[in-house]
Amino acid sequence: MNRLDYLVLIATILAIPLYGLWRTRGSASLGQYLKGDASIRWVTIGLSVLATQAGPITFLSMPGQAYESGIGFIQNYFGQPLALVVVCAIFVPIYQRLKVYTAYQYLGERFDRKTQLLGAFLFLVQRGIAAGITIYAPAIVLSAVLGWRLDLTIWLAGGLVIVYTVMGGTKIVSITQRYQMIVILIGMAIAFAIAVYRLSPDLSFENTLSVAGKMGKLEAVNFSVDPHKRYTFWSGVIGGFFLALSYFGADQSQVQRYLAGGSLKESRLGLLFNAVVKVPMQFFILLLGAIIFMFYQFEKPPLYFNQPAYERALANGYAPQLTALQAQFDEVFVQRRAAIRAVSDAPLNERDAAMTKLHELEGKAGELRNQTKAVLAKAGVDPKSKESDYVFITFILQQMPHGIVGLLIAVILCATMSATAATLNALGSTTAIDFYRPLIRPNASDHHYVVAAKALTAAWGLVAIGIASFASLVENLIEAGNILGSVFYGSILGLFLAAFFIRRVTGSAVFFAGLGAQALVLLLFATTNIGYLWYNFIGCAAVLILAPILQQTVFRAADTPAGV
Amino acid sequence: MNALSEDAEARSWRKAYGLALSLFAVEVVLLYVFTLRFS
Repeated sequence: MNRLDYLVLIATILAIPLYGLWRTRGSASLGQYLKGDASIRWVTIGLSVLATQAGPITFLSMPGQAYESGIGFIQNYFGQPLALVVVCAIFVPIYQRLKVYTAYQYLGERFDRKTQLLGAFLFLVQRGIAAGITIYAPAIVLSAVLGWRLDLTIWLAGGLVIVYTVMGGTKIVSITQRYQMIVILIGMAIAFAIAVYRLSPDLSFENTLSVAGKMGKLEAVNFSVDPHKRYTFWSGVIGGFFLALSYFGADQSQVQRYLAGGSLKESRLGLLFNAVVKVPMQFFILLLGAIIFMFYQFEKPPLYFNQPAYERALANGYAPQLTALQAQFDEVFVQRRAAIRAVSDAPLNERDAAMTKLHELEGKAGELRNQTKAVLAKAGVDPKSKESDYVFITFILQQMPHGIVGLLIAVILCATMSATAATLNALGSTTAIDFYRPLIRPNASDHHYVVAAKALTAAWGLVAIGIASFASLVENLIEAGNILGSVFYGSILGLFLAAFFIRRVTGSAVFFAGLGAQALVLLLFATTNIGYLWYNFIGCAAVLILAPILQQTVFRAADTPAGV
Repeated sequence: MNALSEDAEARSWRKAYGLALSLFAVEVVLLYVFTLRFS
């Protein structure tokens, strides 16, 4: 990065919050602080919802995911449009009619206080940890490749967000997310165009895609019914539906986005905008990863994308092993480039043989990378995040022109800030409205609750930075976030669906069904290896099955069921 | 009159949901065609 890059980076990440602070200057009532005002229109809501879901992991890790495993991850979003329609038709009108600040207030009105607190508690645990991951994930990668100090990177990503989210509440989160998302979309479009432009002229774009497809990178839709296969059409539609329904219907970080402004029409239009644009957006981000994969078939890639870890291993006395692996890798690269040309140029009857050869060489390259990883582990520099998380950032730093590098680093930080702001805003609001107001200070003034919400938002910001400072990731960055969500979302969604659709069920039955469902999902998570998207379905189904059973047995005489 | 306008509004929202889901269905078909073409 040079001065131009830093100039673009700093100007981009500072200008948007400063504009947001100017737009939200002056004092706000509790309603304005937690829900914004009527000036928030559907475009802002739509971009805000999009930015909250995307986060830095989408833009940093997803191209690397496609580079490594292909674009099949797209199927995880197949349940989302249907879920968004259900949220528009059922959830939003109820929230707007009851004028709730948080989704969990509805559980309190429909059932009782303890069910409201259970929903809010599950949300706080899940989102509190997720907020830490959202900050940590890009910070660990950016600090490694740019040589920044990890703690300072975490504070750069998290500190600024805390300040403006605390000051401006929901309205500033919506306004900043709108412009951050515009910067992100422009940045990613430029990255995509440059990646296509930088592809080898030896192959046409169509031939490039054909070869990528034959190498297993472009299977967007797979109808397999194997439950152990992570990304299929069915797991995406069914598991993805429950994940998205829970996320958009019952996760306060999203509920607060589309309730901003208070208009049913604007909320619905913002969500429908997401139903239409989400899949194409994710497709282009994943396709970018497949294009980078093809770029590195002609341009020599690093033996190991996490270069800082590789260089530390060299310095730790493992240069002979790594140099030998590098020499073999270079040889395989030359052969692989020739094999790709053969696949593209060979007559039809010889293509299969050329393809087999290419697959063999791809396997060899993968084996050499695995051996490199083993050497790195021996050298004591085993990285905390997956190598694929470094693919896109390496491509940015090595192949993009100056200025664009700064813009794309700003894209990653904008995504971090927008997702974190939404989360902190929701964590602060939920703690203030669902816990502080009813349990600690029931009859204080409006102003008192605004101050409390601000203090609690700041406190959650510090918790998130604390978690980020001590986090170490166990799997790919995308996966960590999604797995965490899936473990908790099913039970939360079950509470809401029981409230909407099971008339003859009371708070106590739903509360204990929720606890039982959560225990079941945690048990399955600890003891089985089923695809994580299914936890959403299992957790939700467990609540919906257990609650009526408990109602008819244990709580039959205890409570009188209330209407919806 | 009020009930009539509510009905009309509900109908127009149902159309909007149908449109969104139709567009999504087209997206999935295009992705499947893409998969068949390049895999």
